[in-house]
This record gives sequence, C-alpha cells and structure tokens, in this order.
Amino acid sequence: MSEKVISIDYLARVEGETAIKISIKGKEPQELKLNIFEPPRFFEGFLVGRKHDEVPDIVARICGICPVSHMTTALRAIEKAMGINPSQQTKILRRLMSLSQMVSSHLIHLYMLAMPDYYGYPGAQEMLPEFTEELSRLMRMKKVMNDLTAAIGGRASHPVSAVVNGFTDLSSPQALKKLHRDLEKTEDDAVRTVRMVSEFPFANFFRKAEYVALNAANHYAMMEGSIVSSEGLDIPEEDYEEYFEEEEVSYSMAKRAKVKAGGPLMVGALARLNLKFDQLSPSVRKLAQEVGFKIPDYNPFHNNLAQSLELLYGIQECRQILENLELFPEDSSYRVRAGEGGAVTEAPRGLLYHRYAINARGVIEKANIVTPTVHNFANIEEDMRHLVRQNSDLPEKKIALLCEMLARAYDPCFSCSVH
Amino acid sequence: MKKIPLGIFKYSCCAGCQFQFFFFQEHVLETLGAVDILYCKMGTSGGVKEGPFEVALIEGAITESWQVDELKRIREVSRFLIPIGSCAVNGGIPAIKDIYPEIEVEKRVYQDLSVIHSVKAHPIDEYVRVDGYVRGCPMGERDLLELLTSLLLNTKPSFPEYCVCVECKLKGAICLLIAEGKPCMGPVTNAGCGALCPSHRRACYGCWGPVSDANAPALAKKFEQLGLAPDDIVRKFTQFASPTIEFRKGAEMYE
Repeated sequence: MSEKVISIDYLARVEGETAIKISIKGKEPQELKLNIFEPPRFFEGFLVGRKHDEVPDIVARICGICPVSHMTTALRAIEKAMGINPSQQTKILRRLMSLSQMVSSHLIHLYMLAMPDYYGYPGAQEMLPEFTEELSRLMRMKKVMNDLTAAIGGRASHPVSAVVNGFTDLSSPQALKKLHRDLEKTEDDAVRTVRMVSEFPFANFFRKAEYVALNAANHYAMMEGSIVSSEGLDIPEEDYEEYFEEEEVSYSMAKRAKVKAGGPLMVGALARLNLKFDQLSPSVRKLAQEVGFKIPDYNPFHNNLAQSLELLYGIQECRQILENLELFPEDSSYRVRAGEGGAVTEAPRGLLYHRYAINARGVIEKANIVTPTVHNFANIEEDMRHLVRQNSDLPEKKIALLCEMLARAYDPCFSCSVH
Repeated sequence: MKKIPLGIFKYSCCAGCQFQFFFFQEHVLETLGAVDILYCKMGTSGGVKEGPFEVALIEGAITESWQVDELKRIREVSRFLIPIGSCAVNGGIPAIKDIYPEIEVEKRVYQDLSVIHSVKAHPIDEYVRVDGYVRGCPMGERDLLELLTSLLLNTKPSFPEYCVCVECKLKGAICLLIAEGKPCMGPVTNAGCGALCPSHRRACYGCWGPVSDANAPALAKKFEQLGLAPDDIVRKFTQFASPTIEFRKGAEMYE
C-alpha cells in the first residue's frame, strides 16, 4: 500500500507557531497532529498574585490582534466577581470597541493571511503592485477601524482607557461625528470585500460540526447572552465550566476543549452565522444571498466568506451606534470585594472565556482562560482527517497546501491558544 | 532606491509588534515598498531563513532554548539585529513569571510538566549583541519609522532617551502624580508613546520599560507616601520589564 507523509515545519500566515504532521496509508490518514509548538507564557500561572485592576492590561498582551477581546472578557469577569454592574454607556463603548476590532481582525485575515492562497502568492507583499487596488482598499478600511478602536480605547492595539467599571477618558463629539462619516464611506469597500471573497476558489468540502456561539434575543451578541449550539445547547455563561472541558495534548502546548456531552465544536464567524444569521441587517442578508451564502453552511473554508459578511455588518452596526451617541462623564469608582466570576465574549475568532477568583484585597487567586482556537483545535484536526481522506490520491504537496488552507480558514491564533 | 533585505522573527509574545508593522501603523504600504521581506512566518510562506539580512527584527522574549540557538544563528547573518517591543527589549509581560519560582507558575497551568521546556523570560540582549532597540508595547510607531528611514538613508537612528514626564510637559498635560496623587510610572519609564496614558487621564504603567537614568527607589518611596501597600509597589515595578536592573531597584525595597 502506498504511503505518504505530510510534514509542514511551520504553518505560515497565521498568528503563532504550529507544525502539521500527517502520515497516510492507502486512503486512510494514520497519524494526524496539529503540533502547536508556540512557547507557553503561563498567563494563568503568573496572574495569580496580581491585582485585579492590572489584569485587563496584562491579558491584552495574550494577543496582538484581539487584545480588546481579552481585555473586555477579563473586565466583565472581574466585574461579575465583585458584583459591579457597569453603566449602559460603558457597555455600548465596549461593544463598539469589540466590533471595530472584529472588523480589523477579519481584514487582516482576509487580505493578508488568506487571500494570497487563493491567488497563488506566498504573501501579501508579493501581491504588490498587481493587487494595488485591493490592498489600497484594505488600507482605507483599516485606517477607519483603527481610528475607531483608538477613539474609544486610546490606542488601536492594546487600548489603555478601558478599566474596571468604565473608561478613564471619553472621545469628543467631533471625533465621533467624523468617524460616523468615515464609516459611511467605508461601506462600499466592505461590499467589494464580500464580492471579492465570494470569488475565492474555495475547496468543495463539507463536514458538519457542532457550532457554538453567544446568543441574545434582540441583538447580534458580542458580550452578553447565553451560550447556544446547533445541537441544542443553551446555557448561561456562568455555567461554562459545567458544560465544556479542556484536556492536555501530549504533542501540543495548546489544550483542546470540547463539549462534555458532545465532541469537537466550531466557533467563529461561520458558527455565528450558522446560528444567528437572521440577526444580521437585511442588506447583509441580501448580499449573502447574492453571493450564494446560505445557512446552514457546513464548509469550513466558507469561514472566510462568513468573516467578510460580518465585516460589513460590523461597519454598519458601528455606524448605527454612533448615529446618536452622546457621551457623558460617569463615576466609575467601585468597592473591591472578594468573589469569583466567569464571562464569555465573542472574539473575532469565536468564543472566549475568562474566569477569576479574587480575594478581599482584590488579588487574583485563580485564573482560567479558554480561547477560540482551543475551542476549534479538535475540529480542525477532525476536518483535516476528512479532507486528507477525500484527497489522498493527490500528490503530497497538494494535500499539504489543502491542509494549510483549511487550518488558515479557521483563522487560528496559536499565540492565544497557548497563552 | 534599494530595498532593505529584512528578516522578522517571533519568540514568546503576542505578535502585536508584527501586527504593528503590517497593520496598525499609518504607513504600511510605504513600509512594504521599502523593505524586501526575506523571512517572516506570519507574512509569507517559505522564505529564506538563512539570510543574509541587512536587518533582523526580533519580537518576543526568550523562554525556550531552541530560540537561543536560532537567535545566535540570526546574529551571524545579520548586519543589524534589533529587538522590537517590550518583550524583546526588556522581557515585557512574559517576564512577570520571573519573580516567582518557575515550577509554581508552570504547575498552575499544566499537569504534565515533562513536555514543558520553559525557562525564565529574558530579553534578546541577554544572549546576543544588539544594534539598538525599538521600544514599546506594541513597539512605537515613531521609533519603527525612524529605524526604517535611517536604514534607507544610511544614518544613525535617534530614539528618545528620556522619561515619559518630558512628553507630558511638552503636551502641557497635568501631572497625575503630583496634582492628583496617582501612582504614575512616568518618571522612570522611557518615552516614545507620546504620554499616551496620562493623556487619557490614566497613570502610566511602564509598558515601554525603564529609562536608563531611572531613579526607581525614589519613585517607590513616593508611592509609599501615597499610601500604596508594599506588595502593590512591588507589582508596579514587575508588571513590565521585571528583569531590568532599573525596575528591580524599585521592587526590591519592598519585597
């Protein structure tokens, strides 16, 4: 029987370090490992003994592309632990910041990490000057989204003004008005992005997973709601640890999460759209229909298309929030109390969980963080197994590229996953 | 104009400095036009790991031995080797763990420690000679562009070598430490951020690491006068750059 070996020393164009090892006998993949060798930094270890108000700034440094998610998840978990209920204004600003970061993250992934695959380039730099129009479009959009995150958080990457129970500083009405206008101009670019991504030659591959996302009755949930799945799971975020578990993996520095009663799960843009497509705006839904996106969609490569649709939704939603937004200085003082709290948010790449136990002096006694890529880990491997089986007749190089593209379609963040 | 042959390498960090390079800063297209990226895992498939590089940009702290081996090889084939961002420059956030026994930190995260090969987090200049520092968390945009421009013009880059207070004064910002009694790390922290946190009414938390003439013991005493408990003072000087001698001097008075 013929034997093939796929050995990818490092997966390029993803955040963080991972190798892929596969051996195939006949048609059957034998060994298949996503070897996440990203060095551990032990955040959950060294957070113990730190003060609660340092935590949001520290955990922002888990990830260079979704620092807002780690910050806001930590802030919410800490507030829950201490029985603090932040104002409506604070919640709206956090939603704005999260949406703007989601759009930025999708932009990076679609244009710089995924796009080169579909046009046969090694990277985005090599796509210049031929793709100047696309990359200029990326630059226009990223400028507006970075300005928006910075207007709320003080800095686009690793924001500084988001603190427990509020913000240290508020944007001026003029700045918000300007952003509102800029966002309006960005919508066309977003629509073009959706059309561009819909023309990527996606692999014809389908495998149903258990899709998991945060859900709320009346809006596209980013940070408040219950955890729901396509298999009928519907639980409050506090109960996360009762229903999900993490296991250590001998060949990986990242742990692997699963639904206790089920198996591998998928989180992120495609999972969100599969579960709450109806909550997108009518114009996004209409465009989805035009470009041939229909739920339920079981093709993990279409996560890219889902991201592009979310990108447009995110821009529209930010604009709508800014429409009549007036900000007022608020008292953000609070009383330090002992307690324990967990919170779930939708990071750009999917479900993110933080939990902290805090003592009466406000010092962290226990920390637990489960990231989107830890949730997706088992499902990436399972998808890859099926993909290899379906394509085992192809030469090794082609199988390798397909596997790389599959992993990239999930937009994995291995720095986050190891943390 | 000749493009700068460049290698970008990541060790233990959030990759935020690479994202600063490729996404967050204002002049991404100009940057991509000025450099020839020979090796960068996050940006490009394949590449020439062996160099030679006109300049190697290194992000992240060193926490595993293979990183040291690779780093020394990069040094051999690079004309300039520049750590970018706090993790690489001074240990940054990953070095918080250095103040605790390694095993205590590790066993809180993993049960099977036999597959963990981590050592205390060290900055890049602990292991190889470096030719300058692009500070910041993420690395500062001004300093990055200064570095690239200098490379193109073959001039010596000029980075700020003074503390955040100077930037506050230039901006006319109210002193949070003196006027509001907030425990601000500005007096001991290297400038370059444009006094970002104080401009947002927030005390500096030292993310750029120490300025070379920092007087940490004096600031630590000031924090004590403001009513901070000893363990809180230690945390101020160990959140970023805990391995540096400048910040150690502030922490060790209250340990």
